[in-house]
Amino acid sequence: MMSDRVAGLMGQLIAVAIALAIGAVIILAVNESPLRVLVTLIDGAFGNPERIAGTLLQMTPILICGIAACISLRGGLFNIGIEGQLFIGGFAATWVGFSFALPPLVHVLFGLAFAALAGMLWIAVPAFFRARFNTNEVVSTILANYVAILLTSYLTINVFKRPGGQPDTPAILESAYLPQIFSFSRLNWGLFIGVALAIGAYLFFTRTARGYAVTEMGANPKFAEYGGIDIKRQTFVLLLVSGAVGGLAGGIESLGVHHRFMEGFAPGFGFDGVIAALLANGSPIGTIVTALFFGALRNGSLLLEVDTTASREIITVIQALIILAVSAQILVRRRASDSTAGERRWKF
Amino acid sequence: MSLAIELKSITKRFGSFVANEDVSLAVERGRIHAIIGENGAGKTTLMNVLFGLLQPDEGEIFIDGEKKVLPNPAAAIAAGIGMVHQHFKLVPSLTVAENVFLGMEIRKGGLIDHKAQIARTAELSQKFGLRVDPGERVGLLSVGIEQRIEILKVLARGARTIILDEPTAVLTPQESRELFQTLRGFVAQGMTVLFISHHLEEVMEVSDTVTVLRHGKEVATRPTAELTKADLVQMMVGRAVSFDRRPRGPVTGKPVLEVSDLWARDERGLQALKGVSFQVRAGEIVGIAGVAGNGQTELAEVLSGLRPASHGTIMLAGQAIQNRSARAIRHAGVAHVPGDRLVRGVDRGASVAQNILMGRQDQSPWSRFGVIDRTYLNEQTKRLISRFDIRTRSPETPVKSLSGGNIQKVVLAREFSGDAGFLLVDQPTRGVDIGATEAIHSEIMRQREAGKAILLISVQLDELIALADRILVMFAGRIMGDLPGEGVSEEAIGLLMAGVESAPAEVA
Repeated sequence: MMSDRVAGLMGQLIAVAIALAIGAVIILAVNESPLRVLVTLIDGAFGNPERIAGTLLQMTPILICGIAACISLRGGLFNIGIEGQLFIGGFAATWVGFSFALPPLVHVLFGLAFAALAGMLWIAVPAFFRARFNTNEVVSTILANYVAILLTSYLTINVFKRPGGQPDTPAILESAYLPQIFSFSRLNWGLFIGVALAIGAYLFFTRTARGYAVTEMGANPKFAEYGGIDIKRQTFVLLLVSGAVGGLAGGIESLGVHHRFMEGFAPGFGFDGVIAALLANGSPIGTIVTALFFGALRNGSLLLEVDTTASREIITVIQALIILAVSAQILVRRRASDSTAGERRWKF
Repeated sequence: MSLAIELKSITKRFGSFVANEDVSLAVERGRIHAIIGENGAGKTTLMNVLFGLLQPDEGEIFIDGEKKVLPNPAAAIAAGIGMVHQHFKLVPSLTVAENVFLGMEIRKGGLIDHKAQIARTAELSQKFGLRVDPGERVGLLSVGIEQRIEILKVLARGARTIILDEPTAVLTPQESRELFQTLRGFVAQGMTVLFISHHLEEVMEVSDTVTVLRHGKEVATRPTAELTKADLVQMMVGRAVSFDRRPRGPVTGKPVLEVSDLWARDERGLQALKGVSFQVRAGEIVGIAGVAGNGQTELAEVLSGLRPASHGTIMLAGQAIQNRSARAIRHAGVAHVPGDRLVRGVDRGASVAQNILMGRQDQSPWSRFGVIDRTYLNEQTKRLISRFDIRTRSPETPVKSLSGGNIQKVVLAREFSGDAGFLLVDQPTRGVDIGATEAIHSEIMRQREAGKAILLISVQLDELIALADRILVMFAGRIMGDLPGEGVSEEAIGLLMAGVESAPAEVA
């Protein structure tokens, strides 16, 4: 057991190292020093309290989206529609935020619950088709992303646009603000919610009967079916929960950071979350680390353009390289595993 | 007579599993040569080697006397070999002619010449007596006609030797007869047919020569005319190490499981169980014998709730359990040792303890308020490890690092440690070494003494004779006979397995 885990961790580290090495070569190719880029990145991500808070601020949505991905991966499912759930959830929470006048805490809870519900509804159709007809959820959830992004954009511009130039909704009431942690940063309680979700997911999967059933469904669905686990029902519910967490990530982003909804509300956090979860091998605790890594990359890259000649797009390149390296690694491990019996259902 | 195909000492391994071991095969030109064996005997692997889909680890292939290396199916096709797979690979939205010429379209001025394709398809269809309408869309056609199209595809590519993998599995009896006629037409025109099957009847009916494979090895190659069905069964099933019959007292218990007129379909939608009825009493071991693939797997799946029954009843201690969920059936008191242990029986990546937990994770005292009691699980696992003599370092060891016999003991430990009144035990010693087999047999006898009703499905006759109080023989989805376990001969069982209903004396 342990040796498997160590081997898995080593594999991920090697994947990241290879990605960073190729990234270094690319940086050299644009006549910049990789070392200087690295130092600037670290300085930009952790150089002073404001920057650390900024990194944690970027990390929060990635972490929560990562947990949403971990939940589906654990059951052998792949919810890649977290980006869409995040947009829908963000819009839903914003709507609650500016449409109702409620006592402070109640307003926040109501907004977040509504965000989770919206995310859940957004995945309900793909989840139903996956459970009932075995329709590939990768395709259906990724398609739902486009609908979510364009629908929220339509609602923002055509229905709820506040007077004035910007394509964004009215601001939410202050009673719906998720409290900030420090005065100098927009970093908010969403971080605590994310870490609590990670620990909760870890305990659920390792300690509870239902978590065990989900784990076995992911590890060997035929074994789970034989053991009396209702695969269809569990598949449906698991995807709903994953979608709810995706929606919650959006709610936290709008109630905690932007206090309104606008076009391009949270670019790429959903996808970064999926990558963070994959890099963590589907482990919720590991996702805390990988989400921090991706948050640091995003935040550090802001300084990169100021202090070096490298463009911040180099960060996108490095992320893409990590995806490639991690996917290659998963493929190699699959090939190496000896037989056809009881393979994981992850398919990408 | 010249040889169309000659395989010399072919060995093919998948990891540690040997699918074909030193198999040699000589196929004469102008003959129908059947390759017969149980599921998993290595028939399809051998044909995939011949068709270039798999590369042999050792051995040589000669086609028309010439040594060939076949790196891919294209090379095999170029050498005049064609294969009709078990699962058809046709494009439903294209016409018959378009499917036949898919990938080798007849062109005129850069465009597909549909007229020529249709004419050529009609010509082939005429010549070989494979009736099809070349212009029709494949999506609308029956399975029997789809198979004809597959054969036409092979013919259009100039095959002189045709391999058919279980061709009759999806056909109606009428369609099968037509197919056999077509095959005889082929050999009359000097072509060669290789025919894979595990159905004795059709092998006897259509083939000139039979090769029997068992556990990846060639057992015999003989002219069909020299063989009886009983001979074939014996060669397919073979005799492993013989076990002595276990001593026992008489069966006195009440019926626990009563199955009546049970029908079910297999994956392909074909009737796999055709009106099966029997009962199992407390303290009784009822054996199910039969050549693999005669409905035993489906019977086990229906009894455990993993496959729906289309008709009939299953009563467990007076309670109807047919078509209930796997979970409900478990809770009603059915324990199940599955035949495909590595697929269904365990999660190989999980620890021994996690495998012991399956099916009871939401029951007290294994868990309380949905939280697993890890101390209790660990203690129970340790107890079962010593009680069932599972050779493992600890409860935390992943199951995949155990030997086959010990993995099976983990399954038995889990299934036999509950309070189920009925034990469904499918192939308990397949792939298990002799020492572990003895231990597993003793354990099954202990369960009998404890008053459990046991249904033992096995393809190993000596195992059934050693353990069963009664032996039911399955053939083609039906129970052919009910024999006492005491004093029964392997020959008597073998005849029933071959689908011969009458007494041995009447068989020539």
